[in-house]
Amino acid sequence: MTGPEPIREEDLVAFHSGGLDDAARTALAARIAADPEAQAVLAEWDRQDAALAALYGPVAEEPLPEPLRARLAAAAETPTRRRPAFALAAALALLAIGAASGWFAARSTQPDAPAFSLADSALRAHVTYVAEIAHPVEVASDQAGHLVQWLSKRLGHPVKAPDFAAEGFRLMGGRLLPGDTSPAALFMYEDDTGRRLTLHVLPEGGAENSAFQFLSSGAAQGFYWHDAGLSYAVIGDIDRDRLRAIALAAYEQLI
Amino acid sequence: MSLLDEIEAAIPGLRRYAHALMRDRDAAEDLVQDCLERALARRHHWRGDGPVRAWMFRILLNLHRDGVRRSQGRHLVAVESLPAEPSGPARQEAHMDLREVQAAIARLPADQRRALLLVALEGMSLAEAAGILDIPEGTLVSRLGRARATLREMTGRAGPRPAKKEGTT
Repeated sequence: MTGPEPIREEDLVAFHSGGLDDAARTALAARIAADPEAQAVLAEWDRQDAALAALYGPVAEEPLPEPLRARLAAAAETPTRRRPAFALAAALALLAIGAASGWFAARSTQPDAPAFSLADSALRAHVTYVAEIAHPVEVASDQAGHLVQWLSKRLGHPVKAPDFAAEGFRLMGGRLLPGDTSPAALFMYEDDTGRRLTLHVLPEGGAENSAFQFLSSGAAQGFYWHDAGLSYAVIGDIDRDRLRAIALAAYEQLI
Repeated sequence: MSLLDEIEAAIPGLRRYAHALMRDRDAAEDLVQDCLERALARRHHWRGDGPVRAWMFRILLNLHRDGVRRSQGRHLVAVESLPAEPSGPARQEAHMDLREVQAAIARLPADQRRALLLVALEGMSLAEAAGILDIPEGTLVSRLGRARATLREMTGRAGPRPAKKEGTT
């Protein structure tokens, strides 16, 4: 081995991107000062950045294109007014949470029928299939790619199975379910202790975006919501806060 | 600053990024328009955790990934599988040929392109870019290293630094 150890590329990247603390930065700067090769690499990266700025920087200086401005202006006209669906959802959630007798108590607030149809069928499917020992799913997670492709095709809408590993649940697989106007998809997940939860996806044309609504029936409880033409429900026999975190994770990943 | 103002303030950067990400200007504008739609539809759910800009970049990147997935099968040659073509002997002039850089960026693997542009064009910190891409910082750093090296090769500027030797003494 002759000469000092060459500077690692990772360190150069961190140095160039400002990802080092002061002490590490000072130490590395001293090594770079003695390493013409590293200097050449950094200079080249500076030129790359300059080329990118020259190519695309002007785009950010342009006035916003008309379609974007029009869309922002339309949104500004209804600055804080909550959509009816949102207000309804909030009322529903409060009611349902307060009602010990379960989610059907919320019917008195005249909820929209499709949402309740989804919640109802999702609960029934959940109860039917989580108890299944031999055949909980039609297509297992070892064929996750096929599963998602198949369900997307049958629903006529791209769907995906969110990852709940951070919440301690792994995908078991999924199945196709009958729905009112179109088939629905069910994904099932299980944690280390064998507890299962299900995610239901149903194309619900024209449904407005909504906030989470809470539902419960017996031990099973869950959240459902509409977003961008699809209705979702997450259902499990686990405590509400944990379920809510999982529903949020699904919501985030399904952006 | 209201949420709507913050959304608007993020758009110039999103446009710049989208135009660098996609060669087709119309496709880039569509991507930003879809991103804005989605952000506006979701703004009532915005929980205020983290910067609006990062949230919007995540939306845009999810849309981009979905779009790339959808279009797979229609392109005959995956950009990733094209071999790098050095465009001549190593050069060291102060400025780079912009068209060459543009072409090279378009031929980077999508993961590398997304990562490189967040840091090199949008000037994001490693932590912020890693958060947006939802990958560990170490993964981002190696992705950036690869992207920069590939770019360097494709613009024919692989200089005096020899390729990494493996298994030699």
